[in-house]
Amino acid sequence: MFIDTLIESIDFSYRYNEAPEAALKGITLEVKKGDFVAIVGANGAGKSTLCSALAGLIPNYFIGYTEGVIKIDGKKTTECGVGELSQTVGLVFQNPFNQLSYTADTVSEELAFGLGNRGLPKEIMLEKINNVAETVQINDLLDRNPLELSGGQVQRVALAAAIILEPKVLVLDECTTQLDPIGSEQIMKTVKRLNQNGMTIIMVDHDMEKVAGLANRVIVLQDGKLVLNDSPENVFSNPKIVEYGIAAPDYYELTKDYALNSVILTEEQAIKKLEEVLADEN
Amino acid sequence: MKIEVKELTHQYPSGDIALSGINTVFEGIEPIAIIGQNGAGKTTFVKHLNGLLRPTCGEILIDGESIKNHTTAFWSRKIGYVFQNPDNQLFLESVKKEFEFGPKQQGVSKEEINERLKVVADLVGLTEKLSIHPFDLNTTEKKFCTIGSILMMNPEMIILDEPTCGQDLEGNRRLTRIITALKENNQLCITITHDMKFVVKNFDQIIVMSEGKILKKATKEVIFSSPEILQASSVSPPPITRVGQALALERSVFSQQDFHQEFENKKQAIRIFR
Repeated sequence: MFIDTLIESIDFSYRYNEAPEAALKGITLEVKKGDFVAIVGANGAGKSTLCSALAGLIPNYFIGYTEGVIKIDGKKTTECGVGELSQTVGLVFQNPFNQLSYTADTVSEELAFGLGNRGLPKEIMLEKINNVAETVQINDLLDRNPLELSGGQVQRVALAAAIILEPKVLVLDECTTQLDPIGSEQIMKTVKRLNQNGMTIIMVDHDMEKVAGLANRVIVLQDGKLVLNDSPENVFSNPKIVEYGIAAPDYYELTKDYALNSVILTEEQAIKKLEEVLADEN
Repeated sequence: MKIEVKELTHQYPSGDIALSGINTVFEGIEPIAIIGQNGAGKTTFVKHLNGLLRPTCGEILIDGESIKNHTTAFWSRKIGYVFQNPDNQLFLESVKKEFEFGPKQQGVSKEEINERLKVVADLVGLTEKLSIHPFDLNTTEKKFCTIGSILMMNPEMIILDEPTCGQDLEGNRRLTRIITALKENNQLCITITHDMKFVVKNFDQIIVMSEGKILKKATKEVIFSSPEILQASSVSPPPITRVGQALALERSVFSQQDFHQEFENKKQAIRIFR
């Protein structure tokens, strides 16, 4: 694990304009290069707001009141524009339709949008578009109008539009909710590969099996406060998570009576342990 | 209510054939889940059931009458459709007004509307938010607002299009309460979802779609024990079921309780035969 800190939040609070209560309250955390961090919690806990803050959209895009500091790659988000921060952090929105530029007639043009803003030559843009289309399996959609695609297809396009800019940190806010189960698995394999190749990932998701299988750290939010920040093993074996509105992965619940000295969080480990239990009966 | 779907085909103006020769019947009140890969035609299919989309070929009969005979507004009184994206459905300046709009159009009395409002707002968890602008709700609250606005019209059948998107534990529990309440009220609920944990918890009957066709309509036990159907529709069983299958448990398991019971049975069987 690298030790470089890419994102640092120091006692950061944020209240949306006209909201009676802060959405984030005193958040202190660090995201290091190569991390795969999952942010979990009940709806309304502040997960999407934290994503926006960690990507610099707060305070640069959303109107509101902030306290504390967030630094992205050493720069305070209050002192940089969204354009500059987007060179470091890419955000895939919860609602993929919010991410479309609404200026593109085709998916190819949509993917070229960010590259064009960076002034890349056309040949390089085309090469990058073809590569990312291959990665997220949207080759057959490149000539389609983004506004005529299904929700699941737009989620793939939104992910591609973020990946194509090769950010150091990719923030994924429930980016597979509209995908079929196999499609979701494929996308997560791609994200895992990006992480293994050095991209830092911050992911919000309600699927705890997915979180447990991918993240090296889990952050739990409740009512805008950070209440847990630990390894998946320590978070999911902590009985307090029920109070925070989350459940441990089924694999943990199926095996906890048999795995007294370990915390099992993946399907493979669960099957192995339970097969051992059956073998011991022989 | 009985809905008969006969040789339903739908071709979009772009030329894409979204549905191809679908035949099925909906009858009774047993909730049904529709699952399948992205682009399988699930949303296109259900939008035909209240006339939001019209067949290119084939026909749909509702209680024996062709859907062609009436407008979508007419059929919406009997069959409510909750859009996948709530932003496509919400248009008034408060949750209360959203809830009241449908029954007002139907000519329901003010007293009855007020009565329904209490029950529905409680069921969808928005009692405290009736005065709020729907666009100030979070994504999942918006979804419950759209569900509530359809429940207010008291249709005989309600279609929920991906209600589980972005739901947390409590949101899914609330959806379970809604589906249960609909059945108790003799209303059929058809739900499209990609969340297989939610499917096995709430539905015994499942329709699997792939490439514009219905691959299979059967019980969850049959569907999740048919690898070829699952593979063709990009669906995988929920985690507990997969573990149970890997351990070759005697029957399909869909809950932790089921799993522990079957696992104990298997251990006991091993002890007896060793």
